[in-house]
Amino acid sequence: MKIIGVAACTSGIAHTYIAKGKIVKAAQALGHTANIETQGTIGTEDELTPEEIKAADVVIIAADIKIGGRERFKGKKIVEVPTSMVIKAPKGLIKKIEEELKK
Amino acid sequence: MNELTDQFSIADVITKDLINLDLKAQNKEDAIIELSQMLFDKGIINSVDDFSKDVFGREKEGMTGLGQGTAIPHGKSDSVVKTSLAIGRTNLPIKWESLDEKPVNIIILFAVRNTDANTVHIKLLQRVAMLLADEDFIHHLHTVESKDKMLELLSKEPTE
Repeated sequence: MKIIGVAACTSGIAHTYIAKGKIVKAAQALGHTANIETQGTIGTEDELTPEEIKAADVVIIAADIKIGGRERFKGKKIVEVPTSMVIKAPKGLIKKIEEELKK
Repeated sequence: MNELTDQFSIADVITKDLINLDLKAQNKEDAIIELSQMLFDKGIINSVDDFSKDVFGREKEGMTGLGQGTAIPHGKSDSVVKTSLAIGRTNLPIKWESLDEKPVNIIILFAVRNTDANTVHIKLLQRVAMLLADEDFIHHLHTVESKDKMLELLSKEPTE
């Protein structure tokens, strides 16, 4: 499946980027693709394109704060979790999403 | 990210003087102070008190222990002169609020300037954060035998 998402943490220095790395690695290991935008202390990087959003099967919002541009995902399946959850059990999360999407 | 490596190296945010593989601290507070003192000695922060207060403040907002014996306390503070890292390793694990509820012995302290016009340093810190998503990298943090090897490890390109 095509996963997209946004990562954002309180201070925007570390957890945001660890969360991104964890999602991308877990997705690849399970045969999926993942494009994750980061909203950190130096702003937005790897901003999701409208094409990526359109093609996505699911949106993972891994955030400890309110993210910007949430309205872009209107009508999409959104999974919202804290960054800690993604850092701790990224594969578990993706497997759960796989199950959900099969329903 | 590749362009960044071509022009800037990890040496811009961490040097051998900011690595201590034999940290004496036996608790979290002492570990943060000990690492802050290293940053102060190199002129990277201008006050151990002010900086560590910001780090302790961040600690109250949420856990910085990532699991696998690694913690990433961080402070964004007016007392930071130059955005940098300090890394410490203790012989005995110390108690820390962690995602796997286990103690830590690798502590990577991120010191970030409150208003940093130079985003390069922050991007180098982000690269280190990305590396921390890799279990092999964390395994190596525990086993590297010298400061040189630690610097080599930190210069690795994060894989996606």
